[in-house]
Amino acid sequence: MDTLIPIGIVSLLSLVFVLGVERACSRGIAVSNPQMTPFLGGAEPKTHAWQRFHVRYYTMTLLFVAFEMEMMFMYPWAVVYVEEGPKALAEMGMFLAILSIGIVYGWREGIFRWE
Amino acid sequence: MGISVLDKFGLGAPVPVFAAVGAMSLGRAEHLTLDPGVRLVGSPRHAAILLVTGDIGDKALANLRRLHDQLPHPRATVWWSADPASDWDDPIIVTSSERIATVLSSVWRALLSGKRQSEADCLPDAPPNPWRGVGPNGQGGKGMMGGTPYGRPMAMTGEDIRDGLSLDIYSAPFGPFLPSLPHGLVLDMTLQGDVIQRAEVERPPYKQDTLAATPLVALARILRLLELPALAERFVRAAIGEAAGRSADVAALRRAFLRSGALWAIPPGLGRTPDDVDLRDRLELWWAAAAGEPVAAASFAGAAIGDLLRGLEWQEAMLVLNSFDLDALRQACVEAMEQAKSEEAV
Repeated sequence: MDTLIPIGIVSLLSLVFVLGVERACSRGIAVSNPQMTPFLGGAEPKTHAWQRFHVRYYTMTLLFVAFEMEMMFMYPWAVVYVEEGPKALAEMGMFLAILSIGIVYGWREGIFRWE
Repeated sequence: MGISVLDKFGLGAPVPVFAAVGAMSLGRAEHLTLDPGVRLVGSPRHAAILLVTGDIGDKALANLRRLHDQLPHPRATVWWSADPASDWDDPIIVTSSERIATVLSSVWRALLSGKRQSEADCLPDAPPNPWRGVGPNGQGGKGMMGGTPYGRPMAMTGEDIRDGLSLDIYSAPFGPFLPSLPHGLVLDMTLQGDVIQRAEVERPPYKQDTLAATPLVALARILRLLELPALAERFVRAAIGEAAGRSADVAALRRAFLRSGALWAIPPGLGRTPDDVDLRDRLELWWAAAAGEPVAAASFAGAAIGDLLRGLEWQEAMLVLNSFDLDALRQACVEAMEQAKSEEAV
């Protein structure tokens, strides 16, 4: 109960603050349909904006994920490396080989070419 | 309506104005960019006052109404050396260039203090197509896809000309009052991400006055696109000084231009026309003209606008469009429209 009271007070204060700011800013005018139209310099959009947008850097992100997963496994591996010895080295070698195939594949697909 | 706390802070700030620039008035609008009491914003969402200057023509009136409704409340429209639409309610008309800044700030004050009522919407408050309540999610379609949520059809997948990943294409007309496009130009474009797949001219840009055509102002437009507004202001100031008979220190401006790193943002070979002139060469032509050398303005050399823009990213396309002489661009737009019309007839 002792912990709940401060949490309740802080929640109440933040609610008062948010409502106060909202009251200070709002003019009590509802947003109308023409106001919701995207800005195209005065033109009317033909389609809805809800769509699958083509981000051009997606190939880079795939490459980033490949490298990041590598690092994620390398940290715990480094901790047990001395205990395990050559077995750990071989395992990491296999893991890196698999990842490199991904990078070589990406290379073939031209993801290192900036476009 | 009482004056709110935030409005009191707002009064101290420069007036946020969105300018809809018509024919023969870009020079006037450039003068206004130098006024410290006025902030010309890039989107109607950030503006309190819609400034209409010059003749925008009857076709653009519908665009202006749409733009007007996109301004948040409280809002007002000021017509500066422009004829207001005949059905416009209580238009504020300014004819003299000396008074415009004072009028803008007094209208802004009147709006914030509630002395002047915010202007109502011009367009009806209804979605462009009926949609509510149809389909399993109320989106207006039958399945998960399709339908007209908020009254607009969903985008469908289309070909991509760059990396071949086919996602949804976005087709829309852009302009005539999009700040990054030359004023008056309406381009019907199909985009896949930010890469232009197709561009067709719907309306050519407006004819502009002599100040807008000076090389320094043209370079200032490029600098604004590169998000270097302070440097652009220096260029505009120099151009206005030159028009008043004071000579501009072009060498110093060029040094500032090179130091700003603007050229790093312009890859070589961008927007190359058939006569082997690219964007960087066109900038050099502007510089030569600014230095007083007798050079011909960059022309399209027979290149069609649609071909020039296809495959470019949005920002590159905007730079390419703004690198041409306004008259040359206008001419190329008219030609592109005539060609499209004749192809349609065949």
